[in-house]
Amino acid sequence: MLFAAFDLPSASPSAGISWPDVALSFFAIVLEGAPFLVLGAIVSGLVDVFLPAGLIKDWLPRSKTQGLFAALGAGIIFPLCECGAMPIVQRLIRKGVPPAVATTYMLAAPALNPLAMFSTFLAFRNQDPWLMVVLRFGFSFAVLVFIGFWLIRLRPDQMLRAETLLGSVRPNPALSPNPGLVLVPRPGWSLGGLQQFTGAVIRDFTGVLLFLVIGAAVAALFSTGFNRNLLAPLGQSLLLGPLAGILLAQLLCLCSTTDAFIIAAFAPFSVPAKIAFLVAGPLIDLKLYWLYRSAFQPRFVHGLWIRALAATLVITLLYSYKP
Amino acid sequence: MIDRLARHTSFFAPAAVMSAWGTVMLHTIASGHINRLLSPAFRSYVFAAAVLLFVLSALHLLLYQPESVTVPAGTSPGRLRHFMRWLVLLLPVMAASVLSPSALSSTTLANRALDSTAGVAAMPNMSDKTSDDIKMAQAADPNQPVPVEVTDLITLSHSPEQIKAFAGRKVRTVGLVADASGSSPKLVRWIMWCCAADAQPASVELAGNTSGNWKDTQWVEVVGTAQFPSTLGHIVPRIEIESIKATQEPDEPYLSP
Repeated sequence: MLFAAFDLPSASPSAGISWPDVALSFFAIVLEGAPFLVLGAIVSGLVDVFLPAGLIKDWLPRSKTQGLFAALGAGIIFPLCECGAMPIVQRLIRKGVPPAVATTYMLAAPALNPLAMFSTFLAFRNQDPWLMVVLRFGFSFAVLVFIGFWLIRLRPDQMLRAETLLGSVRPNPALSPNPGLVLVPRPGWSLGGLQQFTGAVIRDFTGVLLFLVIGAAVAALFSTGFNRNLLAPLGQSLLLGPLAGILLAQLLCLCSTTDAFIIAAFAPFSVPAKIAFLVAGPLIDLKLYWLYRSAFQPRFVHGLWIRALAATLVITLLYSYKP
Repeated sequence: MIDRLARHTSFFAPAAVMSAWGTVMLHTIASGHINRLLSPAFRSYVFAAAVLLFVLSALHLLLYQPESVTVPAGTSPGRLRHFMRWLVLLLPVMAASVLSPSALSSTTLANRALDSTAGVAAMPNMSDKTSDDIKMAQAADPNQPVPVEVTDLITLSHSPEQIKAFAGRKVRTVGLVADASGSSPKLVRWIMWCCAADAQPASVELAGNTSGNWKDTQWVEVVGTAQFPSTLGHIVPRIEIESIKATQEPDEPYLSP
């Protein structure tokens, strides 16, 4: 049964854009993301100071395939939001974690984490919640395995920016996420550990913050100016529904713990369209594209984008056309 | 001279940027503007982040010093690029803190509105206080208006039993008036899950006399009768207006789950 409480006036395709609202949305996104970025930078600093590189290598499985599945498991057990994950993943790579494993974890943490599944259950509690949770988790896992097997075939230099890559084998403050930041220790202070920690936190925070600002600006522009009703007619189509869901996820740039509440309200969307939205969004969108650019080469990010969306489209289309 | 200035700018820039972000965060909290930006669950994180950014700024100034080496000629384009980078970190957030309005406009309302979807949306539940208020009001004088939120009426409309018990009750609610002079005036509340960027409008119809010089998305208080008419199988909560008057923005302009 449908009700029309969201049936608001003037919802025409030519509603236009309100620039003050874009400023409001941008401000809200950066205020929401910045605390997690600070937290991620602090964890990254702690990893830098206290976690020996050899210890991480000892923990990790030797086999690439096992490493991939360990990363997927870590994504479930150690949830991280997208903003907080970036500095930590870069630091783990510098500490010797294989880039394919660290990247798989970076993608899996928001996509598979229990909080996202719980919020999916709550959001769809009137619409077969268990089906939505199972489909979201299962399809996300399958897409991540597909991407993971692509990642383990890549060389680090095919994935990472020079700063991230060279920092992993030749620790050098100049090769930091923020190359404009030069930290010269003040003489007379014998707080080596604190200096190292502070330097790592400031470098990582200011390095990734630039990409958060750019990504937030893009996300604010589309989440505010794009008329969501434009995609509604496509949402019921077997073929175009998942495509519409993926496109909407790219434009709205929502967190994985929130997205289910938004898409649950899209009654014109079919189940495959909603699942496509929930699977594709946490992997990559217009905001994450810029955040990923803080650590990875543009060409790699484009490849990741294409593969994530193509895999999501294929798996949701298969579900659409199931016998 | 220029090189010395550049070296000092480069040294102070991180502390300036982090302090500016911390100041913007604290000012947003102190002014109450944060209520228009983030759901309550995230606000304490912003305060903690602001404090940490001030601590990091102080540590930066205490533990580090400006470069002493003169940079060779020919590297000034790099300096300029880095300087621009710091400006990108500084200016947009400060501009947004000044320019961001107190409420989302009717343009965004139209862009984020959805047709015929309310029944499947997970609406914020009625608060215990409101539920108690409703029970008390129902038990007391049926002519006294029951304080409800827009989303409460939508939640009630999901249940035939609740509709039967509540239809015809006098209610009092607050919201943003939309399309007041048009063919289908509505009373709107924004629902916010995390931040204003994901806020989604929820509305009930207004019937009767909405006359008045209402600006779009102006805050109003409406007293009227709750109705749940069915049109083509869709139940649309509606308030038959008895009175409508301008009111202040509530402390929490958004509803959060």
